[in-house]
Amino acid sequence: MKLNLRIWRQKDAAAEGAIETFELDGVSPDMSFLEMLDILNEKLVGEGTDPVAFDHDCREGVCGSCGAVVNGQVHGPDTETTLCQLHMRRFRDGDTVQIEPWRSRAFPVIRDLVVDRTAFDRIQQAGGYVSVDTGSAPDANILPVPKPDAERAFDYAECIGCGGCVAACPNGAAMLFTAAKVAHLATLPQGKVERDARVLAMVTQMDEEGFGACTNHYECTAACPKGVPIDAIATMNREYLRATFLSKEGV
Amino acid sequence: MLRWIDRFANSSIGRKALMAVTGLLLIGFLLAHVAGNLTLYADQDGSAFNAYVESISALPILPLAEAGLALLFLVHIYLAVRTTLENRKARPVAYQATGTHGQKTLASTGMFVSGVVILGFLIKHLLDFRLRKAEFDEAPHESIVEAFQHMPTVAIYVVGCTALGFHLFHAIQSAAQTLGFNHPKYTPAILWFGRIFGIVLALLFASFPLVYMVKNGGTH
Ligand code: HEM
Ligand code: FES
Repeated sequence: MKLNLRIWRQKDAAAEGAIETFELDGVSPDMSFLEMLDILNEKLVGEGTDPVAFDHDCREGVCGSCGAVVNGQVHGPDTETTLCQLHMRRFRDGDTVQIEPWRSRAFPVIRDLVVDRTAFDRIQQAGGYVSVDTGSAPDANILPVPKPDAERAFDYAECIGCGGCVAACPNGAAMLFTAAKVAHLATLPQGKVERDARVLAMVTQMDEEGFGACTNHYECTAACPKGVPIDAIATMNREYLRATFLSKEGV
Repeated sequence: MLRWIDRFANSSIGRKALMAVTGLLLIGFLLAHVAGNLTLYADQDGSAFNAYVESISALPILPLAEAGLALLFLVHIYLAVRTTLENRKARPVAYQATGTHGQKTLASTGMFVSGVVILGFLIKHLLDFRLRKAEFDEAPHESIVEAFQHMPTVAIYVVGCTALGFHLFHAIQSAAQTLGFNHPKYTPAILWFGRIFGIVLALLFASFPLVYMVKNGGTH
């Protein structure tokens, strides 16, 4: 296939960026989206120009490194699919494909399609952990977890921190990411110890990073490559109200 | 002291919770308001409406209730403006390609616009009736007949009620989610109840100017 690529190019955080156009021939429908970019980059390097910078690592949809907005859709047109798992058979010969980085004040562009997502690390560090002893393995069934809770917690834990929720949100909110962490740990007995302090600290950090506020468009959950459910956000809202009004935390 | 209240009221989630609570209380006011207005349909000469207005005007707590209502509006609008401005700042560079994942609606993306239209209508509404209270209380039903003979007034009321319908179409399930209520057994019902409720309430409010215009002839 032959594609008409329109890609955001930006030298560094301070530089002005712009869309650049490339024609790419010989794209196979069996390639992944990132392999298509690899082919483009080989060609660009051959021509003595800078390759297009993009983040990637596992290329099997588990690490959360990759991601771009393709024709206005986060991680492209497939549901519950990371960019590395998107295949070129979703496109047709002669298509124009517009590729832009995540857009958020809290995710400044470092170069081309690569953005700085350390804001997520700081939210995680603010409270996304449990203080459990990691001594010897505990007895089986010492902490009973009902099956529905275990499954719900697992749905939340699937979040790979790619930032697609922020990119998809019309308000640039990081609620689905933060909520996935809060709801995951609030659902399990191990997470109860820091329950109130966690949600207060993580939400405060989220706000300080300059993300927007949720107005319930629900674009995030539809864009999420792991399908983290929207009730995570309701759970975080509930946890936040609980911690504010009913706990002795953060007086 | 009271640092926790400050933290809550300035957090993204706290602000949204306050918007949801003030919004739901405003809906409570609208329900009382529409129930009162329905006395317009109780008879032909408007005596039921006149009696209703008289009983309300005589209530000793009326000034307090009005002050509370004004406060609800002010808090809701202040938080709406602040949240909208901050959300715009959260994405300084827009996407060039516009796309969607199929969840946002015209109502959800237009909340600020529908809110501003409601506010504009509200000002017109207050000018028509509340700020001419002495005249209005003298002959309530007459005032209604008189006001809805003006075509521009009827048009503004219909636009205002349409905006209210859009606002509530999104607002009710949004408020439930904001306040932490999301449950597989109830959430689908809340979504559809909220949408139908919003449309029905808007139609009821819009019916008053329209029915009066048709009944008495919109002349000027
Ligand atoms: C009768 C008048 C009004 C009622 C009953 C009402 C009701 C509501 C409700 C229930 C919500 C949902 C809150 C949430 O999910 O957190 C809401 C949200 C909102 N309202 Fe209003 N509102 C009214 C007037 C206004 C006005 C005058 C404005 C602005 C000038 C406004 C702007 C907004 C905005 C921007 C939102 C946020 C959108 C969102 O969270 O989804 N509203 N309103
Ligand atoms: S590269 Fe790891 S998820 Fe795509």
